[in-house]
Amino acid sequence: MVNAVFLLLVLLYPNLSTEWPTHTVCKEDNLEIDYKSCDPLQDFAFSIDSCSEISSHTLNIRAAMLLRHSINELHLKLNLIINGRSVLAYSESLCEPDHPKFLFCGKKKGEHLYYEGPVSLGNFEVPQGDYVVAVKLVNEDRLTVLCADFTIKNNQDYPFP
Amino acid sequence: MLRRGVCSPSTLFTLSLVMPFLSQCSAGNFNPCLEVVPGLTYRCMDLNLSRVPAEIPPSTQNLDLSFNPLGSLGSNNFSAVPALKFLDLARCCLQTIENYAFEDLCNLSTLILTGNPLRYLGPSAFFGLSSLRRLIAVETNIFSLADLPIRHLHTLEELNVGNNHIESLTLPKYFTNLTSLRFLSLQSNRISYISKGQLDVLQERKGPYLTLVLSLNDIKYIQPGAFEGIQLHELSLRACFNNFTVMKDCLQGLAGLQVNRLILGEFRNIWRVENFQNGLLDGLCQVQMQEFVFICFKRFKNNTDTLFECLLDVSTIRFVDLYLSQVSAVPEFSQVQSLECKLCKFGEVPAVKLSLFKKLRVLRITKSKYLTNFVKGFKDLPSLEVLDLSENELSFTMRCSFLLAGTPNLRHLNLSFNNLITLKDPFSCPNGLLSLDFQHSILKNFGTIPLFRFFTNLTYLDISYTSVQILCECVFWGLESLQVLKMAGNSFKDNSLANNFRNLTQLRTLDVSNCKLLQVSSSTFANLRNLRDLNISNNRLKTLDSMTFLPLQALTVLDFSNNQLTFLTHTALKSLIDRLIYLDLSHNMFDCSCTHLSFFEWVKKQKQLLQNIERMVCSSPVNMKNVSVLNFDLSNCQLSITLVAVSASMALVAVLIMFLIYKYYFHLYYAVVLLSGCKHSSERGDTYDAFVIHSSKDVDWVKEELVKTIEEGVPPFRLCIHYRDFVPGVPIVSNIVQEGFLSSRKVIAVISSHFLESQWCKFEFEIAQSWQFVEGKAGIILIVLEEVDKAMQRRLLGLSRYLRRNTYLEWKDKEVSKHVFWRQLRTALLDGKTWNHEEVRLM
Repeated sequence: MVNAVFLLLVLLYPNLSTEWPTHTVCKEDNLEIDYKSCDPLQDFAFSIDSCSEISSHTLNIRAAMLLRHSINELHLKLNLIINGRSVLAYSESLCEPDHPKFLFCGKKKGEHLYYEGPVSLGNFEVPQGDYVVAVKLVNEDRLTVLCADFTIKNNQDYPFP
Repeated sequence: MLRRGVCSPSTLFTLSLVMPFLSQCSAGNFNPCLEVVPGLTYRCMDLNLSRVPAEIPPSTQNLDLSFNPLGSLGSNNFSAVPALKFLDLARCCLQTIENYAFEDLCNLSTLILTGNPLRYLGPSAFFGLSSLRRLIAVETNIFSLADLPIRHLHTLEELNVGNNHIESLTLPKYFTNLTSLRFLSLQSNRISYISKGQLDVLQERKGPYLTLVLSLNDIKYIQPGAFEGIQLHELSLRACFNNFTVMKDCLQGLAGLQVNRLILGEFRNIWRVENFQNGLLDGLCQVQMQEFVFICFKRFKNNTDTLFECLLDVSTIRFVDLYLSQVSAVPEFSQVQSLECKLCKFGEVPAVKLSLFKKLRVLRITKSKYLTNFVKGFKDLPSLEVLDLSENELSFTMRCSFLLAGTPNLRHLNLSFNNLITLKDPFSCPNGLLSLDFQHSILKNFGTIPLFRFFTNLTYLDISYTSVQILCECVFWGLESLQVLKMAGNSFKDNSLANNFRNLTQLRTLDVSNCKLLQVSSSTFANLRNLRDLNISNNRLKTLDSMTFLPLQALTVLDFSNNQLTFLTHTALKSLIDRLIYLDLSHNMFDCSCTHLSFFEWVKKQKQLLQNIERMVCSSPVNMKNVSVLNFDLSNCQLSITLVAVSASMALVAVLIMFLIYKYYFHLYYAVVLLSGCKHSSERGDTYDAFVIHSSKDVDWVKEELVKTIEEGVPPFRLCIHYRDFVPGVPIVSNIVQEGFLSSRKVIAVISSHFLESQWCKFEFEIAQSWQFVEGKAGIILIVLEEVDKAMQRRLLGLSRYLRRNTYLEWKDKEVSKHVFWRQLRTALLDGKTWNHEEVRLM
């Protein structure tokens, strides 16, 4: 319930300032994840079921937003930024016209998008230290559907596999 | 909670707080909306508007009013914008749409009502929308199709009522009126039972076959016969079934359906049916379909023996994103003509099993990251024309006799974007091949021998980025029919193009970009008379030689970008300009100096022809680096031409002046002396400039040449000559001393054989020598009038020694020598004059 109120508040945040507030996803001794929307149009809601999952390479996430653009196609772009420099870029198509992988593919402008499910990090090792992960989702017209900067402070020691 | 949307009371409260500020902002006459296309398209998204702004012109065709709190639509809201074709009212907090709300919009083609929590929709709400083709009413609180007042929308083609609360699939009677309807989406509704009779209206209805999307409904049961006799274009049933049993039973309920395309499966993040087991698709045996798409299905445990059982009569099968790792059984007599497996989990090309699809024409296995092996070959597939194994991780030896022996009619083979392909005995490959694509796979064994010699029908070959090095000119032998050759990103022997393409006379497109080329031999293109499109960009070519390109009579497109071209010669420009319609010279190393003025003039005239002209930048000289060629100022060069002309003429004038100064040096000197206010040596009256010692036998020369030139020239000198200036009645010796030596600054001795013979001359010369010794200054000027032999010289004491140690003047009867002689003599006489003159001034 608290979660839902939070989501609602985030979604309905009055559109007055271009600066969105920073939200905290995790705050533990060794791990802190914050995010901030960089889309001037809107903020969005995001949470991870359990922050300790981050070392297990599969996260259960929830994300909600109001779509400002239709998403017949949706492309994800990730940038790992350390000390202001992009050190790693990754992109993936989430929705393609002949291959709508996810149920939100094809959603219309004005619809709610609510995603609840696992996100696999594959073989990607979550790096230690302080860094920023810039996330961007664009649609078929290259319009920004979502834009967010995740600030991660990770001091966890992983057991050597 | 989420579903309540934007229009909850708390929101309205917030909005009411915010409104005064925003209304202040938007006060005034300016248009608050974004003008995308003036007069036609306006975007008024999220501006807190409560009605159509008055500033929107009546000609507007596209209006985006989304995310504005309109609240409700009364009648005639849009009378100010009657020309509208597209109206977006997404998330406008619409709760009521009154009758005749859109009455004036008879041209409206698309109406978007997404995300409005409709409570009341007047029975004539859509009255007047006589051209409406698309109605998007996603997430609009609709409970049943019957409530939707759309019976009169005859032109409607697409109706999207996804994400609503519709529980029944019953298509109302009015669907018979919607004769243009092609697409009906009921995705994400609450349809759980589909029973007989619900779709019957489709049987009576005339018009195109419908695409029906029922994905993301939690369907529990489909009554057998519900789809009996129904014809659809497409039926989509993704993530509709909660488990294996439900899915199996529901598919049984599709019996009797005729559909062009049936889409089953789930989504990446929704896995409901726990496992694929035998019998899951049994129901499809009762369905007539052309194409079957199975998408995003995760759980296969190799119980796939029945996978194709009911797909015998399907002509096209697409498996997308399936965790299918092998093909276990394929029934005989299948009619499948086209099979695609994209993102599947095969480890090896299942050629043996797939060979059982005897009628297969097209086979595509793509984007499968576990697919690494291709060992067993296809057998007896006489109809196979297209084999696409691109974007896998294949590494294999391509022995056609092994792998493709059973595909004699193969036309198109795509092995691009794989790992490593080793070519072996390609002569056994199907010789009817029309296209071959190896791009971005590493090709081994290619480049030294004419491997494709037997591919006489091949028209398309792509070996781009295959790490090939072309070592032999013979590599493309046999490819007489080739029309397209793409081989970017490879390399050639010595980084130069030789006669590699000699036999490719039919070639129309050639891509040799990024091949590290340093030069192109002039005979390379000699036989390519049909070539239209040449890409030679991203090499290191320094020249574009008109002779090399001359044979390319059909060339229309030339990409020469990213080379090291500094300029184009006049002949090259002329030969190119007549034929080309596309020329890219960007990113070369242009030399922006005035030497290539004609080239830059040409560039400025060819803005149509030249592509990426703004990226044609100078690379030298240093001060012009990275300046666009277009910004190269031609007038600078013209200015410098005048500069050159001016400086040349100035140099000429200077030379002329110097010549004149040289010629009239003494005149000038004299003039300066006169102008400086001091009187000439004539002031002294009794003083001579020089005493001339000469034999009386040389008197003619003295009179005619010496006196005339020196005394009458400029500046005038006064000579003391014995026959004229000696005072009569005085002994000769006193005259010599008094008039000669004491009154003269210099002594001129005219040496000749007569001089040596004359006793007086000897006497005078000896006095002159001793006088010079006494006075301590250089005073004797020797003029040798004619050659005198040494013996004679010795007769005169000290003469020969004097001649050896001092410079003397020699008289010659030539014009040039005379000129030099007189100049030297004048200079010698002038020497004392300055000193003299200073002395005068001191006095």
